Amino acid sequence: MSATIYLYELRSRLKSVITWSIALVAIILIFFSIFPGFADQAALLNETMSKFPPALLAAFGLNQVDLSSVLGFFSFIFLFTQLCIAIQAGNYGFGLVSIEETDLTADFLVSKPVSRAQILNSKLLAAITSLVITDVVVWVSSIAAFMLFNADRPYDTHTLILLLLSLLVFQLFFLSLGLVISLLVKRVRSVTPYALGLGFGMYVLSAFSGLEGVSVLETITAFKHFDPNYIIQHVAYNTPLVLLDVAVIIVSLAVSYWLYLRRDIPAVS
Amino acid sequence: MNIFRRELKANLKSLIIWCVIMALLILGGVAKFSAYFNNPELLKILDSLPAAYVDALSLRAFNLTTISGFYGIMFIYFALLGAIAAAMWGSDAISKEERNKTVEFSLVLPVTRSKVITAKVLAALVNCIVFMLVTALISIGVAQNYKPDQAFYNFLTVEMEGMFVIELVFLAIGLLLGCVMKQYKRSSSIAIAIILVAYFLSILSGLQKNLDFLKYFTPFKYFDASELFRSGALSGAYLLLSAAIIVVCVVAAYLTYNRRDLYI
Repeated sequence: MSATIYLYELRSRLKSVITWSIALVAIILIFFSIFPGFADQAALLNETMSKFPPALLAAFGLNQVDLSSVLGFFSFIFLFTQLCIAIQAGNYGFGLVSIEETDLTADFLVSKPVSRAQILNSKLLAAITSLVITDVVVWVSSIAAFMLFNADRPYDTHTLILLLLSLLVFQLFFLSLGLVISLLVKRVRSVTPYALGLGFGMYVLSAFSGLEGVSVLETITAFKHFDPNYIIQHVAYNTPLVLLDVAVIIVSLAVSYWLYLRRDIPAVS
Repeated sequence: MNIFRRELKANLKSLIIWCVIMALLILGGVAKFSAYFNNPELLKILDSLPAAYVDALSLRAFNLTTISGFYGIMFIYFALLGAIAAAMWGSDAISKEERNKTVEFSLVLPVTRSKVITAKVLAALVNCIVFMLVTALISIGVAQNYKPDQAFYNFLTVEMEGMFVIELVFLAIGLLLGCVMKQYKRSSSIAIAIILVAYFLSILSGLQKNLDFLKYFTPFKYFDASELFRSGALSGAYLLLSAAIIVVCVVAAYLTYNRRDLYI
């Protein structure tokens, strides 16, 4: 761990962290601000829907989310928060070491009197710190939104905390997966398409998780592992899938270290 | 022509990756859908509902017991993936030269800057067309198991037209970003911002009646699956709006790129 590299990385990511944080606060507050008006509408809709046969509602996944409850509405917003967070974490992961090679600063960095493991340690820690800062902003603004716009409806604080804490593993998943992919390919020319492909790709794969039945493809998407509806319904994580995530994170990080320590780093000619 | 061919080759990998993501999406969706197709219980319930109900909830366009209903739900995801891919191709076509420090080289070639952009845009356009065709082919292939009727093919055709127009809009926006941004790093960040904002606006505008006006600001709402299903054609007003966005972005892109200072 080298403090210089850590601080440098943190500083160079500062602007991005601020932008993402502001964007996330805006999403949470703007979406939440329509809740008080929306809740009454949704309650009316619920009444109409209660006349429907339960099988029909189940078939269309309409029985899982109660948009008139605070947490139900938040689960809807939370999915978009997850989408943004996935793209941000993927961005940091893909760019973590590949950016040195595109900017032609990689050989400069490895010629410093620090080991490669130290370089990767400091870079990873800096990225994780940046992600945690974003988390704290999301946590604070979510809790503030709950207090401001709950329309006097009750909600369970325990579930809220579970939801908010799940972001940490979710971020690490995309960070480590991005890192390992960036080291597996020969060269990452541009970080954004990769991060968008990974983030949105996993997002659309989970699109049908509201429907009944199981599809194997769903188990590969982290959005399914941290499905807010599941967490709200069960007041617990989907433990096997979360453990799968943890395993993916550990394996990706281990492989990343192994690859980076042996990587052939091109010199600038 | 050389630039065009080089661009096509350089974009091939990205095109393949996007096609694989699209294939995964369709296959993942269809795996779930097979449980619903011609599900007798559901059909009975749908029949017992008053027709007004079915229309109000647009259950006809999204009727999961038919293959058309399934593709009604899929449309927004086709549009989303098409938009992201096209925006990336558009902005990357211009900015990658500066990132790879090859911009001086490509601009000393005996071609005008306009010609360079034209070749790059055409290559990206070919990508968009191929991406749309691959989506259509996979869809048709997957649908064969579910005995598609003529109505399904008509619906799929109009959906693909919608997806293509959305691709073009985002391609033009991406291109403009690549040309206008002085720093190449910024063009892709702003492209992400525009896609996310457009997507969130499309959801926000559907939530409440008084936020309905937001639909003019997001291309994802220009072509709505249930509307496409009902009318069987793209709405003329939104086609004009899309065309206007595309023309303005492309013209602005050419004008700025021809007189801008390069980032070296």
